[in-house]
Amino acid sequence: MPPAASTPPAPRPGAPRPAALLLALALSLAGPGLQAAGPGPGSPGVPGVAGVPPPGLLRQAARAALHFLNFRAGSPSGLRVLAAVLRGRAATMRNPPALCFSVPLVISLGGSSVVGIFHQISSQNHVDARRTCRVDLEFTAERYGPEADGRLGRCSARVVFRRQQPRPAVNVTCARFMETSRRRREDLLLYKRAKRLRAPPGATSMPDSHGWIDPSLRPMWDLAFLGSSYVMWERTTQTLHYYMAQLSSVNQWKTNEDAIDFDYTVLLHEFSTQEIIPCRIHLVWYPGKPLKVKYHCQELHTAQEGSGTEGG
Amino acid sequence: MIQISEKYAGVATQHFLGMTYETRPMYYLKISQPSDNPKKIIWMDCGIHAREWIAPAFCQWFVKEILQNYKDNPRIGRFLRNLDFYVLPVLNIDGYIYTWTTDRLWRKSRSSHNNGTCFGTDLNRNFNVSWCSIGASKNCQDITFCGSGPVSEPETKAVSSFVESKKESIVCFLTMHSYGQLILTPYGYTKNKSSNHEELIQVGQKAANALKKKHGTNYRVGSSADILYATSGSSRDWARDIGIPFSYTFELRDNGTYGFILPAAQIQATCEETMEAVLSVLDDVYERYWNSDSAGKVTPATVVLGLLVSLVSIF
Repeated sequence: MPPAASTPPAPRPGAPRPAALLLALALSLAGPGLQAAGPGPGSPGVPGVAGVPPPGLLRQAARAALHFLNFRAGSPSGLRVLAAVLRGRAATMRNPPALCFSVPLVISLGGSSVVGIFHQISSQNHVDARRTCRVDLEFTAERYGPEADGRLGRCSARVVFRRQQPRPAVNVTCARFMETSRRRREDLLLYKRAKRLRAPPGATSMPDSHGWIDPSLRPMWDLAFLGSSYVMWERTTQTLHYYMAQLSSVNQWKTNEDAIDFDYTVLLHEFSTQEIIPCRIHLVWYPGKPLKVKYHCQELHTAQEGSGTEGG
Repeated sequence: MIQISEKYAGVATQHFLGMTYETRPMYYLKISQPSDNPKKIIWMDCGIHAREWIAPAFCQWFVKEILQNYKDNPRIGRFLRNLDFYVLPVLNIDGYIYTWTTDRLWRKSRSSHNNGTCFGTDLNRNFNVSWCSIGASKNCQDITFCGSGPVSEPETKAVSSFVESKKESIVCFLTMHSYGQLILTPYGYTKNKSSNHEELIQVGQKAANALKKKHGTNYRVGSSADILYATSGSSRDWARDIGIPFSYTFELRDNGTYGFILPAAQIQATCEETMEAVLSVLDDVYERYWNSDSAGKVTPATVVLGLLVSLVSIF
């Protein structure tokens, strides 16, 4: 198996295709007994299979895939978030593939039900961050934001985490939850509203302390999330994952040219360490064009500074 | 809290627990119907992490629900025959105030370290259970700083001395957090399971099901080490290890969309569904100890938002 390319391959966000189903080929799941249904809500377990990836690893992969998809799609009206993981498997890139999570040698069964045993086994497998890990998975996603109507779209993805290095390689396809033409219309509407927006003065907190986002400022929030998706994709690893907690300042909001030029600072919340990481992001967005984004995150005293740039 | 103990005098009384680092008094509310029989205790604390605002909101909602309904609602009424509720609405008062005045995303306490160059201990890493062994930091600049030693913080000391002194009577220890939509059982400091793990999972899962029935919100149930991350020095693990059988951490809404800064518009729904989960746990705990056959019909609680508003204004 050839090593993963350093630049992640472009995803296929399923835009022009009418079908609601995923590509079956990447997920024929014909692997050497590593296939299993993940213990997601309502899904049956596969008893006695020690190679079931820990559910946390599958969720990590799903998040990385969606951040990447959101960034590549470059559509602030088409942002998606994870609903639920359906199934997945994980293996190293070697030939033959090995597990990229450690499995306990002794498993106590204790007379629990079959599903109970499954749950106990899979939850005891923990992520081995020293190995490169290729995760193939299926999951559902829903629309981000107050317009979310509960409709789920199915996604399939292959995500390669490289030994806690940034920029997991992502190949992802999602069924559309919105007609392409409608998404383009909504992006255009957002663009027009953004052009008319005057940036709020000084350091602003969006949302405010009580979770309130002024509906007129929503385009700013959605664009901030779009830019943050790039940062969050780059930084997601087997064990680290992020949410955008707050837009803490707007440094520049330029709308006089064609594109929206937005320089801002967000506070990202990293869940496993619970840390808040301020990141300064500068993006340039025009509907239908790839997003241009640069960023620089303030690091904790223990880690190095992190920055990145895409598009130019 | 004074207003509540006045309005519900005889049932709700305010008690001093200790002082915070910034010398603010910590009070818990004891809800107890006077009777001759010995009571078991349900402990609930909220707001050990300053930024998790939905948690103190829930503690207030819980108190309101119990006090407004214990007379007319048989399900709640029977709890008070044999149980006392001890509720600490804001454990980390200094941090909580700091999130209102200065930094909305602050988590720790406001104790001073390293000659005043660094502030705050993660109170939920400061309890005396496998202290600072994993998932915590000895560096004050970190957000999971475990303190200068186990129970080094006055807030932790206040809670643990009190809970320790009542541990023979406490059957249930609930600590409310956000976010993540999880019901967590011990342990965080090890992947080993408590002796009653199966039962805790069963009870937790039933609670999650009851929660979901209310507004469709999905919660996951599992041990902290399995479904969240490794932690040491947590109040829940400590409570379990001193012998309190039912010890849970609740991580309330949401799933990351707003995170800690949950919109005010979601407070009521979150409190309603969480109430169903807690009542479900209480049902199971009650069944276990008093094997009640009179499964009282659950009447829908009437919502009096005015009381909630006045509760909020107390803090």
